[in-house]
Amino acid sequence: MSWWNLLCHELRAIFGNRSILLTVLGGVVFYSFLYPLPYSQQVPREQKVVVVNLDGSQLSRKLERMVDATPQVELYDRAQSIEEAEQLFFSRGLAGILVIPENFYRDLLLGRSPTLSYAGDGSYILVYSTVLEGMLGAGGTLAAEVKVTRMVMSGQAMALAAEQYSAIRLNIRPAFNETMGYVTYIVPAVFVLILHQTLLIGAGLLGGGQNARMAAGHDGYWCQASPLALLVIRALLFTAIYWPLSLYYFGWCFDYYAIPHHADPAELQLLLLPFLLSAATLGICIGALLPRPELATLIVLLTSIPLVFGAGFVWPRMAIPAPITTILDVVPVVPAINGFLRLNQMGAEFSAVMPMWKQLWWCTGGYGLLAWLLLCRRQRLGRSDTGETASTPRSATTADS
Amino acid sequence: MPFSSLLMRDLRELARDPWLLSLVSWIPVLLFVLMLQMFSQEIPRELPIGVVDLDKSNIARDLSRHYQASPTLEVLASFPDLQTGAAALRSGDISALAVIPADLGKDVMLGRPCQVTVFVNDQFLLIGKIIGSALLQAHTTFNAQIETGRNLFGVTPLIELAVSRAMVTTTQVTPLFNLNVNYAQFLVSAILPAIWQILMIVTTILSLAASRRQRTLPGWLGATPGRCLFARFFLLATLFWLQGAAFLTAMYVWLGWPMHGSWPLVLSAQLLTAWASVAAGSLFFFVTGKVETSLSLAASYAAPALAFMGVTFPVTDMTLPARIWRSFLPVSHYVEVQFAQVNYGAAIESAAPQLLALVLFGLPLLLVFVLAHRSLGREGVAP
Repeated sequence: MSWWNLLCHELRAIFGNRSILLTVLGGVVFYSFLYPLPYSQQVPREQKVVVVNLDGSQLSRKLERMVDATPQVELYDRAQSIEEAEQLFFSRGLAGILVIPENFYRDLLLGRSPTLSYAGDGSYILVYSTVLEGMLGAGGTLAAEVKVTRMVMSGQAMALAAEQYSAIRLNIRPAFNETMGYVTYIVPAVFVLILHQTLLIGAGLLGGGQNARMAAGHDGYWCQASPLALLVIRALLFTAIYWPLSLYYFGWCFDYYAIPHHADPAELQLLLLPFLLSAATLGICIGALLPRPELATLIVLLTSIPLVFGAGFVWPRMAIPAPITTILDVVPVVPAINGFLRLNQMGAEFSAVMPMWKQLWWCTGGYGLLAWLLLCRRQRLGRSDTGETASTPRSATTADS
Repeated sequence: MPFSSLLMRDLRELARDPWLLSLVSWIPVLLFVLMLQMFSQEIPRELPIGVVDLDKSNIARDLSRHYQASPTLEVLASFPDLQTGAAALRSGDISALAVIPADLGKDVMLGRPCQVTVFVNDQFLLIGKIIGSALLQAHTTFNAQIETGRNLFGVTPLIELAVSRAMVTTTQVTPLFNLNVNYAQFLVSAILPAIWQILMIVTTILSLAASRRQRTLPGWLGATPGRCLFARFFLLATLFWLQGAAFLTAMYVWLGWPMHGSWPLVLSAQLLTAWASVAAGSLFFFVTGKVETSLSLAASYAAPALAFMGVTFPVTDMTLPARIWRSFLPVSHYVEVQFAQVNYGAAIESAAPQLLALVLFGLPLLLVFVLAHRSLGREGVAP
């Protein structure tokens, strides 16, 4: 069978298969809207907190107003005691409690350090850090004001005091993802995962479907073609189909969600090539192994969540036990996510993503070889099966039983 | 056929299919253990940061030792200039870069204002936030030390007064329900239900598909489709319930994580979630009539569920479309019950809205029976 014939057959097999089209084209487009949906507000705002003001002085009320004025926190209610605040916290589903101690103002004037207590709901990561950011920020500002006032009272010039209230100020700047938004955080990594997973399903559905038809006694073009030609054409075809889809993600979607991207387009494509090739060869391996097409979806679906959390952008890689990271490293999406984040989000030089780039080529080579062996085996099995049924029906029935 | 023998027949069929047997036996265990292992460190330690020390004074070295002393931080490298430091930050070798300005030591001694700028890689937002709060902590104590020293020098000989002048107010921060700020626990307790829901939906679809493949719908459902289907759903939901109970036990008994609420309530919510997931899975199967297509739909339905559960990003800040989509996912109702019980030990009646929402998944289940009847009618016409 000529390469051209094989290409036509493959094209027909892919574009004539509704499930593959649904997953590859439908899935990629659908996910591009669904995944960012919950995060579209980017940052949590105006989390409701309750304040327990045991002091009642003017300064403590000023602190209340300052807390309320932060974008992170909204003062939802006042409570007379900590017990009452706790009850409100549960019944209204609030996010935090601020306790201003008794004699707060007097202690400040006397030069004792009164203790402000902040409590946040620690079971929701983002809520907790947002609430604390707001309350600590307001508390810190108030403390600085008090300090400046005190310095002025002891004879310092106002301008000097305003600058010197702290020995060394800490200025924390978000380096990438400057708005600290959630879409910018999750989407660039998850999009790589979506491309990878849908590609695996697509290639798996194709291979698994052909296996199932072979088992049912159908003979197809994939039995006559040379395994190497089949592998090369199929891998290149899936890469070619996914190229525009990747560009849709990295181009249009990133613009649509206003995600900053720093990579040089040429370098991005340079990383894209081994990523798509390695995913395609892995998908062909999966397809060659599975007896039925739907199992490809099953396997890919079950591995999605472990891959998200193992890739290292949510949970630090060094906190994950080494045996797990070793296994994860041979899945193309893990080096790919790390590579794309560095190159496109963090603006790294290409030399910095060389380890991931090489890793992806190793994956391509490894899975390519494996896929070739598997396809050879499948063809041998297919030939012997059909051969036997044609020549001696009896041996086929014994093989069946 | 009596109901019990229907169940036995289904159970035997399940045990014969190696894929289905794996899906209800070792695969859930493997996935649950894998996720628990992945987060076994619980609190990230020694996150790599870099320092650009343009000052090289005693105070600058002291400050960088202060960072190093924080259990969360590890000063991995000291860079001679900003360019090399920034390159390391961009390539991801370090997660934050602290720039100590020239003359910091001199300025501190002279009481001039000065500031240390830290660039934190917030592309990895969670890691960035952890680093940010560790830096803030290290810095606050360092500042208090310096200012106390300075006050002792010039303002007052009393150490207490010197401290209180340095720190006008002290703060006490209490992470409620999570005293160690152990994020892993809370992530895992949401991740496991999300995986559980995926497992339930795909197992339901594959189990229905296996029966149809081996015996065809008329051959399997025969004259009493309602009873046969109900027996299958009953078996699956019970198995899923056991899986749910298993991961709950693993977290709150075996690992000993705190659990403040009512076990019976969480378990009942799990039972309803199991039935709701069976309803969702079988609906996909009977609507599409094709196993690959129904699994594809299941993938788009269940795979992003974690994002909608409201654990990583608060529900109150989700837009309306997101909240609508979320309400169609059984696990998002379940996880609210689980969190309210496990963390807050909330009153039992507070779970009513979530339980009601889960009961409403009975409607798609009814629809499944109707659809099954119809497809039975279609396929039954042939021989």
